[in-house]
Amino acid sequence: MTTEAANGAGAGVVIAGGGLAAQRCAETLRRLGYEGRVRMVCAEPHLPYDRPPLSKAVLGDAAAEDSVAFRPADWYSGKAIEALRGVAASALDAGAHRLALSDGSAIHYDQLVVATGAKPRMLPAFAEYDNVSTLRTLEDSRAIRELLAARARLLIIGAGFIGQEVASGARAAGAEVTVIEAEPLPLHGILGREIGEWFAALHRGEGVELVLGQTVAQIHGASRVQAVTLDEGRRVAADHVLIAIGVVAELDWLAGSGLPAAGIPTDAGGRSELPDVYAAGDAAAFFDAFLGRHALSGHWESAGRQGAAVAHAIVGRPLPTPALSSFWSDQYGTRIQYLGHAQLADRVTLDGDRDARDFTAVYTRDGEPVAALVVGRPQALPDLRDRLRYLTERPPE
Amino acid sequence: MTLVALIDPNVCAAHGVCEDVAPEIFRVDEVAVVIGPGPDELMIAAAAQCPTSAIRLVERETGEQIYP
Repeated sequence: MTTEAANGAGAGVVIAGGGLAAQRCAETLRRLGYEGRVRMVCAEPHLPYDRPPLSKAVLGDAAAEDSVAFRPADWYSGKAIEALRGVAASALDAGAHRLALSDGSAIHYDQLVVATGAKPRMLPAFAEYDNVSTLRTLEDSRAIRELLAARARLLIIGAGFIGQEVASGARAAGAEVTVIEAEPLPLHGILGREIGEWFAALHRGEGVELVLGQTVAQIHGASRVQAVTLDEGRRVAADHVLIAIGVVAELDWLAGSGLPAAGIPTDAGGRSELPDVYAAGDAAAFFDAFLGRHALSGHWESAGRQGAAVAHAIVGRPLPTPALSSFWSDQYGTRIQYLGHAQLADRVTLDGDRDARDFTAVYTRDGEPVAALVVGRPQALPDLRDRLRYLTERPPE
Repeated sequence: MTLVALIDPNVCAAHGVCEDVAPEIFRVDEVAVVIGPGPDELMIAAAAQCPTSAIRLVERETGEQIYP
């Protein structure tokens, strides 16, 4: 029996997760003066660390691993934040305010923040091969860096941002890389044809073998993938296969808790429909007032903002100003930034020089801007953000 | 050292890039703050590399905006 009261009173905040949303929540709680106990249940053996560098700097430079930690170890002790490492949330009993952990123990909470993030999707046909991986953790990134340093021929399935960034890193390392994408263009469904064409040209211009509109029909090899045959009969040899087809919320452990495993719907303060249970980051589907529905985000910036918003909600403070959906990417030395909701657009207007990687794409709906993509001109972003600010304030007509 | 950095706290997402570029000028907690003066080149580099373009640079004397 623990020293905690059985009803959880005095148990403080338990954050299930050790990623960005969890970290922002913990540090914001302390900044707002929360004096109760704060525990983070980090599934990985590491203290919370930042993932964007894993598909960027860490792929090219082992020393970049040193700067991925959000905070040094003594920061956590200094803030009285207990980071439990190598142990994951395994079951929730919301009625009892009790969280079961993977080591067989259980802890009580006054408030629980579900910030267990997401895990990469795997293609079942590839799952049993030795030289197939996904990219989510520091160890995943390190393994790819070592392969690239050895000039392994890399086959990437999926031309989303992770696939694209790894392709960029592979070319920087001088490795041969083939990217296979089922859609007719990279990011076609999110950013549309014009920008999809630009991304395709970008990668091909850098020596990436980009195969669009095809999937893998056959895998050759016993324990290791040696080659694949595509729908149209083409054969691609590979030393390693990276599956980069997106993520799913890491919520299997919530089975039976009353919360959906596909992403927990919350209000703008991260409150779920269960009492004293909040969610943030990739595990959460915050209510988006502009879209008029709960929406998964999957982006770094929203995870951080949601973690901070939950901390405000827990201590009863007004929520921070909502921010526009946004993300960024670095590819071949070019900064790519995005704001807004391109899926609402009926038109896109490009301004600048695509070939020079210096342009702005403004997405409009009935002539009004709803999203923007900025390539190689970060100085253009503040004005665009001002033009799009209304998206956080009122719903579409 | 003629520039002053101004950070929009509603835009800053605390990526921490400015602190990586110029740790003597910027410190990033929940949002970035300016902690000291520094060379103009470093301020410009930090502003240009900010993933959310949250840093504005103005001339100390005239108030004229230099970046963005």
